[in-house]
Amino acid sequence: MRSRQRFLSGLLFLLPFAVLLVLWAVLVPWFDVNPRLFPRLSAVAEAGVESVRDGTLVGHIGASLLRVLVGTVLALVVAVPLGIAMGVSPVVSIFLTPLFRFFSVLAGIAWIPIATLWFGYGFGAITFVIFNAVFFIVTYNTLLGVSTIPPAVRNAAASLGAGRWAMLTEVLLPGALPNIVTGIRTGLGFAWRGLIAAEMIATNVGLGYMLFVARDFYRTEVIVLGMIVIGVLWLLLDRLLLAPLERATIERWGMVQRA
Amino acid sequence: MKSLTIRNLSKTYFDLYAGTNHTAIHDVSLEVAEGDFVAVVGPSGCGKSTILNMIAGFIPLSGGEILVGGRPVKGPGPDRGVVFQSFALFPWKTVLENVAFGPKMRGVGKAEREAIAREYLALAKLTEAANRYPNELSGGMQQRVGVVRALANNPDVLLMDEPFASVDAQTRMTLQEELTRIWQEKRPTVLFITHDVGEAVFLANRVVVLSKGRVLDDIGIDLPRPRSWDALNEDADFKALSNRVLQLVRSA
Repeated sequence: MRSRQRFLSGLLFLLPFAVLLVLWAVLVPWFDVNPRLFPRLSAVAEAGVESVRDGTLVGHIGASLLRVLVGTVLALVVAVPLGIAMGVSPVVSIFLTPLFRFFSVLAGIAWIPIATLWFGYGFGAITFVIFNAVFFIVTYNTLLGVSTIPPAVRNAAASLGAGRWAMLTEVLLPGALPNIVTGIRTGLGFAWRGLIAAEMIATNVGLGYMLFVARDFYRTEVIVLGMIVIGVLWLLLDRLLLAPLERATIERWGMVQRA
Repeated sequence: MKSLTIRNLSKTYFDLYAGTNHTAIHDVSLEVAEGDFVAVVGPSGCGKSTILNMIAGFIPLSGGEILVGGRPVKGPGPDRGVVFQSFALFPWKTVLENVAFGPKMRGVGKAEREAIAREYLALAKLTEAANRYPNELSGGMQQRVGVVRALANNPDVLLMDEPFASVDAQTRMTLQEELTRIWQEKRPTVLFITHDVGEAVFLANRVVVLSKGRVLDDIGIDLPRPRSWDALNEDADFKALSNRVLQLVRSA
């Protein structure tokens, strides 16, 4: 019953895309659209096959994913301990919350100019953009997560004999985890957008770069191919990795309505 | 299990709005003998939860001393188990892991602490719920977990802060009966805070009436055990004692 439901909802999700592809396959040749303005579906498919065969697509995807991975891991390593340290002290948390809220909503792309000044063009600047997109949101969410753990729960742990380390690993970290996971999901969404923009400006490999260079040669089929890959990769990342992680923590523990 | 001694306890807050010091607890002294069950009853704002929070070590004292087994206490510690009105279970741990938490903190190995936890879960008729998460349980079942989580850590004193105030009336009566049964079986030293006079008289050996931060009276409850609501609801002694305590609380 459950797997059937999931199959159906997957089908419903894919159906509009199938319709879009059919319209594309029919309408673009029908109106004989100039390929310099918009490619035919068949041309994009050929470009896809070609770029897989010669290895360029894999190279671009690999470069982009590596930057996201490195930037995200670095951000988490700093953000989670910092967020917990801040969340434990109400005074520190009240003082720093506005700052972290501000930087959380500041678009990742806004960091590109200063990132290229600091790190030059390439891996460093782009990873920095990713780092910022994830870091501020995850720190803010971790801080929020810790400060929403009811004092009674912390008191309960203390009166059951939890010391500082146990308080951290058994109470504060798991208590903040649903917020942390939500932060990672939101942060990665921003990071992914920032990544593509940064790659258009500050590098010579990656999906964003692939799009931007294709434009110089009027290769609309490569541009559209890149756009599809960017979208599909994000959907896969979000649906197969982040959303299940969020569900596993938040729904299982029933911490959605916790305030 | 050990005795609990409170001597000349006081608590003074600085009231930020009034800009003056406010004394919540005036010179309270109280002795709970080893294995005794004492209920503290009083209207809201009488300071009963403040006393419990000081005994538990959650808030500092302004004056006096608190001794467990003759030794002064400082900060929260596993010698004083606490049962909270809000249950305060760990939502990210299963029922079994919640109950095994205290032994885990003492460094008891996984197999042994799970055996301890299962023993206490059986005591509260929770064996079936061992692998479920707290949010999957009713309020009454959650508080059963809260009680045995505190007991499984084998504390010297069990502190209960209006533990049954947030469950429905029928469940509350069941929990009260189960608590008297568990108390008779394990004989922990219990200090039980409540605003419900009937609950205090039903559960305790002694009821301490608190008013405006002072002990008003200390009444022995010599009702026979085991106690059940079916037997006591119409019991003349129970009614007389309840009325007496109620008069004191109302005069407070």
